[in-house]
Amino acid sequence: MHSLRNPRRSAAVGVAAVLTLLFGACSAPGASEKAADTPADAAAVSGSDQAGSASPGSTDPIKIAVVDAQSGQLSSLGAWESKGAKLAVDEWNKAGGVNGRQIQLDVFDDQGDPTVGTNIAKKIASEGYIAMIGTSESAVTLAMAPVLAEEKIPNITSGQSPALAELKTSFLFLNGPTSVTYDESLAKHIVDEKGIKKIAMISNNGGYGKGEHDAFLAALSARGVTPVADQVVTMEQKDFSAALTKIREANPDLIFIGSEEVEAGLIVKQARDLGITVPFAGAAPQGTPVYIDTAGAKNVEGTIVSSPYLSNETSDASKKFAEAYKAAYNETAELHGAKAYDGTNIFLTAMKTSNGATGKALADAVRATKYNGLLGDFAFDESGVGIFATSIGVIKDGKLVAAS
Amino acid sequence: MQVFFQTIVGGLSIGAIYALVAMGFSLVYRTMGLVNFAHGNVVMIGAYVASTFYMTTQLPFAVSMVIAIVVTGLIGVVIEWVLRPLENRDFDLMLIGTIGFGIVLEALATIIWGATGRAVPSPVPAEPLNLLGIRVRTYNLVVLGIAAVAMILLMLFLQRTKRGSAMQAVAMDYEAATAVGIHVGRSNAIAFAIGAGLAALAGGLVGPLLYVSPAMGGTLGIKGFAAAILGGFGSIPGAIVGGLAIGLLDGFAAGQFQGYSEVVVFLVFTALIMIRPTGIFGERTVNRA
Amino acid sequence: MRYRLVVLALAAVAAWVLPYGLSLYAIHVVDVAIVFAILAIGMGLVMGIAGQINLAQVAFFGVGAYMTAVLTTHVGMGFWTAAVLSVIGTAVVGLLVGTPALRMQSHYLGIVTLGLAVAFVSWATNSPLAGGASGISGIPAPTLFGLDLSSEYLFYYFELIVFACALAFGMFIVRMPLGRRMRAMRDDALAAGAVGAEVRSLRMAAFALASVYGGLAGVLYAGLIRYVAPETFSIANMFLLLAMVIIGGRHSLVGCVVGALGLSLLREALVDVSTYAQLAYGAVVALTVVFAPNGLAGLPGRVRSAWGRRRPDKAAVLGDFQPYEPASPDVVGGPDRDDWILDVRGVGKRFRGLIALQDVSFQVRAGEIRGIVGPNGSGKTTLFNVISGLYKPSSGQVIFAGKPATGRPPHQLAHAGMARTFQNLRLFHLMSVRENVLVGLDRSRIRSIWRYLLWPIGVFRDDREMHRAGDELLARFGLVDFAPAAPRSLPYGTQRRVEIARAMAGRPRLLLLDEPAAGLNGEEVRQLGEIVRSIRASGVTVIIIEHNMGLVMSMCERITVLASGSVIAEGTPAEVSRTPEVIEAYLGDAEVNDNFSAEDELPPATVLDATP
Repeated sequence: MHSLRNPRRSAAVGVAAVLTLLFGACSAPGASEKAADTPADAAAVSGSDQAGSASPGSTDPIKIAVVDAQSGQLSSLGAWESKGAKLAVDEWNKAGGVNGRQIQLDVFDDQGDPTVGTNIAKKIASEGYIAMIGTSESAVTLAMAPVLAEEKIPNITSGQSPALAELKTSFLFLNGPTSVTYDESLAKHIVDEKGIKKIAMISNNGGYGKGEHDAFLAALSARGVTPVADQVVTMEQKDFSAALTKIREANPDLIFIGSEEVEAGLIVKQARDLGITVPFAGAAPQGTPVYIDTAGAKNVEGTIVSSPYLSNETSDASKKFAEAYKAAYNETAELHGAKAYDGTNIFLTAMKTSNGATGKALADAVRATKYNGLLGDFAFDESGVGIFATSIGVIKDGKLVAAS
Repeated sequence: MQVFFQTIVGGLSIGAIYALVAMGFSLVYRTMGLVNFAHGNVVMIGAYVASTFYMTTQLPFAVSMVIAIVVTGLIGVVIEWVLRPLENRDFDLMLIGTIGFGIVLEALATIIWGATGRAVPSPVPAEPLNLLGIRVRTYNLVVLGIAAVAMILLMLFLQRTKRGSAMQAVAMDYEAATAVGIHVGRSNAIAFAIGAGLAALAGGLVGPLLYVSPAMGGTLGIKGFAAAILGGFGSIPGAIVGGLAIGLLDGFAAGQFQGYSEVVVFLVFTALIMIRPTGIFGERTVNRA
Repeated sequence: MRYRLVVLALAAVAAWVLPYGLSLYAIHVVDVAIVFAILAIGMGLVMGIAGQINLAQVAFFGVGAYMTAVLTTHVGMGFWTAAVLSVIGTAVVGLLVGTPALRMQSHYLGIVTLGLAVAFVSWATNSPLAGGASGISGIPAPTLFGLDLSSEYLFYYFELIVFACALAFGMFIVRMPLGRRMRAMRDDALAAGAVGAEVRSLRMAAFALASVYGGLAGVLYAGLIRYVAPETFSIANMFLLLAMVIIGGRHSLVGCVVGALGLSLLREALVDVSTYAQLAYGAVVALTVVFAPNGLAGLPGRVRSAWGRRRPDKAAVLGDFQPYEPASPDVVGGPDRDDWILDVRGVGKRFRGLIALQDVSFQVRAGEIRGIVGPNGSGKTTLFNVISGLYKPSSGQVIFAGKPATGRPPHQLAHAGMARTFQNLRLFHLMSVRENVLVGLDRSRIRSIWRYLLWPIGVFRDDREMHRAGDELLARFGLVDFAPAAPRSLPYGTQRRVEIARAMAGRPRLLLLDEPAAGLNGEEVRQLGEIVRSIRASGVTVIIIEHNMGLVMSMCERITVLASGSVIAEGTPAEVSRTPEVIEAYLGDAEVNDNFSAEDELPPATVLDATP
């Protein structure tokens, strides 16, 4: 009969007990020597262990983490990036590693979720990884950045959002230009060189699209140009009739797209159906095969692209990289793989020159590294950006070629 | 003015897809009293199967569609079979069970076809029609036509055939239907299979219009479900009207509110449903209270 | 009791020493898991306890986290001020999101809340205030009494305290009258309204509770991760949360917590094969709803019942009914007195062209036993539904105890002294017999909900008082042996008696019995007659719809006969049985005497629940 009443009382007593215990515990780590030593300092200890094992004499492998979405919508970026990084590591390992130590590269899946990203940041910190490559999702990178800075793990991301550069932690580097660079080059080409002033903009409200929108708009206004139309779409949108018709009415000479491959492809396809015939322009995504396939090769003809890596044919280095990539994965190399390849090489070079440093020393070494890569000449500034130039290409017959 | 009419055309084309998705929701609901939250993901599977056969085996588009309809019909039968113990017992649990199936289907598609997705070439390569500056894609007209035909066939089936009326009897009074000798299990399985087949029809048609990826089921499912409810859950013409309405709402919200369009669409939807919970055509099944 | 205390103490000690064995990574994972556990408690309260399909819980989480982020970074508030405001703000949002629940239920509510969750993510992605797609970084680390909670170990202890309080408060609510009314509403909203639960307010309360937990989780998330971005509050994570609650067991808060902790840790363990993990948890959800609807929390009960089946228990017996004290004659009244307790004036009711009632008028005197008879489909139950406030009549009015009752919601009529039973038994089937009766006894109002937070001891005392009264009532109806049983496990006749006990728990002045003898055997019918007479003797007026003519004729002072929605005769049993219209109506209907269900048509529970 009392079965309902008794547990309640027991619960109350129990909760009180828990609370007493916990309040005790809460004050412990700050006050008592023992508690302070145990959990909170464990990390510090492991950190110093790590530093110890990184001494030049050690023969343990150097652990580098690749963190990217390996599942979900953005997983293709993740796959390309891990392939590029692995290619670089394999080449170094074959050549004897860094100062005689082999490099161990492990891939982690952040699922495009910032929370998972922070979990992984803590994980790679506690498992002794000394550097991280990735991610390609700026929200995840932003979530991980404070943890990585606290744990003193340098990170080379493939994001290009200006928000990344604004963080100004000394542990975050970008393996490519930011949107500002992409769009400055693009605006320079379009406005200054080709003299096109009637420009319409369409961009999405995602991290990438917003960054592109702001950067291109800034580059235009610096030249005294106001876009004739400025349409924002969402990442989930499927029908762009309203936005594109407004653009058609504005009768521009060129349309700037700030959106990822697939959506940009859909926009171009629908624009052509609506009778818009002017060329499009955009950053790296507008030079990819996915963009070309989604829109249809005929529709993207003449798209002007600003990219640090126009094709595998641009230089001897890129030809060599593309061959090795093809041999390793039986796939055609592309920008993201190249960026990760460059980023990984920069890390490994910095490790070599700094004689196997970790933490802050490694970050400083990265900053000091001058590297001539597939994307150009890297020289990092305070904000972690290492490259400030892109090339302009045009899509001709379904292929991206350098603009004349 | 051009913007206005072009937005209508765009809204109606995407609305036709929502309408097809909504029809599947409504059919299953009307005949089984079940809400299938996995429907959007079945649409996605349909899109993948149809495009796979169309693109890799070079089968004609129509044949690929038939194969897709068969495959998703089978998926429908499996879902119905697993959830059968809950039929006529716990509505909310069935709802959640179908959400579980949706998650499974999305993961399966990622494993089989990868996460990246694919673009599907249009099977109707003709140039868009130009009506006084309003451009109408021929393929969109095809989709609208198929949606209309599907609606008419479905209504004829439900109203004029014995099997069709038997199905509705099941939803209205389970026990009475059993009593007059209707094989409820089979009736439900058929209803679910037809619903899933409709999903494949929608998916197959949407492929060339948009882009096929494992995540497409989520958006199509939510909007399609909203369309079914807006039109009046269980009503086949309601599904069509609701689908077109959501499509138009989508189009105009995108034009007017740009990035905030999703916010506006769902707020408007919520307000409409608050004002009229039974939707435009009213709820067409007897709800077992 | 000792056993539970030991388990609890062990759990507390384990939770206390846990961080000492964990790496920085592991403690972070645990910290995140606890955030999800708090979120899941809220989800369990709104969905498992109150039965409201809420797919916007992840948006509540987001509102809490974003508000904290905005208030600390943009406005420059301290973390704790921001935290308090965020929880309050989230509760306001919760009430707004919950308003559709007043108009719709089940899948309608599901799609609307899901839509609002999508709208929230979309807003966060766009709004410059929320930092757009790149979110808000640089949320300051909270400090508490000089302790820097940026240490995840210290944050763990802080979270643990919040979590323990949140869980204890949730369980307190579930077991106290408020939670009981919510569970009653979940099991059967109509019956809950009829016994006096304010269904609409309870739904809002459920959403408010869920959003407070969501807001709390959001604040903790912001303090822990110190960065917010739209992706965290995606629909995928909503479904993950749903899976946690379903797999853990939505009816049990502890189950929800176990599900949340378990799935969080599992997700982390399977992070390298996340697509397969997604496949697995989707499949587990689908299988759980079919094979273990109560999730992990339901398993112990299943094992126990399987065990119990093997050991023959001492058979529970239905005790004798102990008659009520007869009230003094001037209270009881009788057929000769003139004060009407119920006055039905020209009531009509039509459903989409179908006329169910037409110009029905009759009066019932206080202290009378009135029979309402009529062929199937004659509108008897519709009449009850109109009188008890489930239906609004299309025309006419009902006066109860001298006050107009038309259009008043059922719970108000219940509070005014009206009680009813249902033709096809509407017991709260997931609650025990004792709890069913306790809901009937419960006269507390939603406006005193503040006491749960500010004066829990008062709530506790009231509950104890209710238990005392409930035990008395159970004893009177001979149901003591069945008190802990689930209603559906009982014989039909016993369930009927439980429903009468539940109706009588509210000390009504008017009791409406809808076919109380249906399905009873001869002896049970005799006992029923005895019970009804005793109830009347205690001063309660009884109106009874019944097909068992023997019972009606022997018990009722007056009988009203309905046919095709109209009153065709009224009078003493002897008078009525001589009326030619009655004889005709009954002969015409002689062949149909099973329970045709068209008669008990009630408003569709899913949509048009606006009536109560």
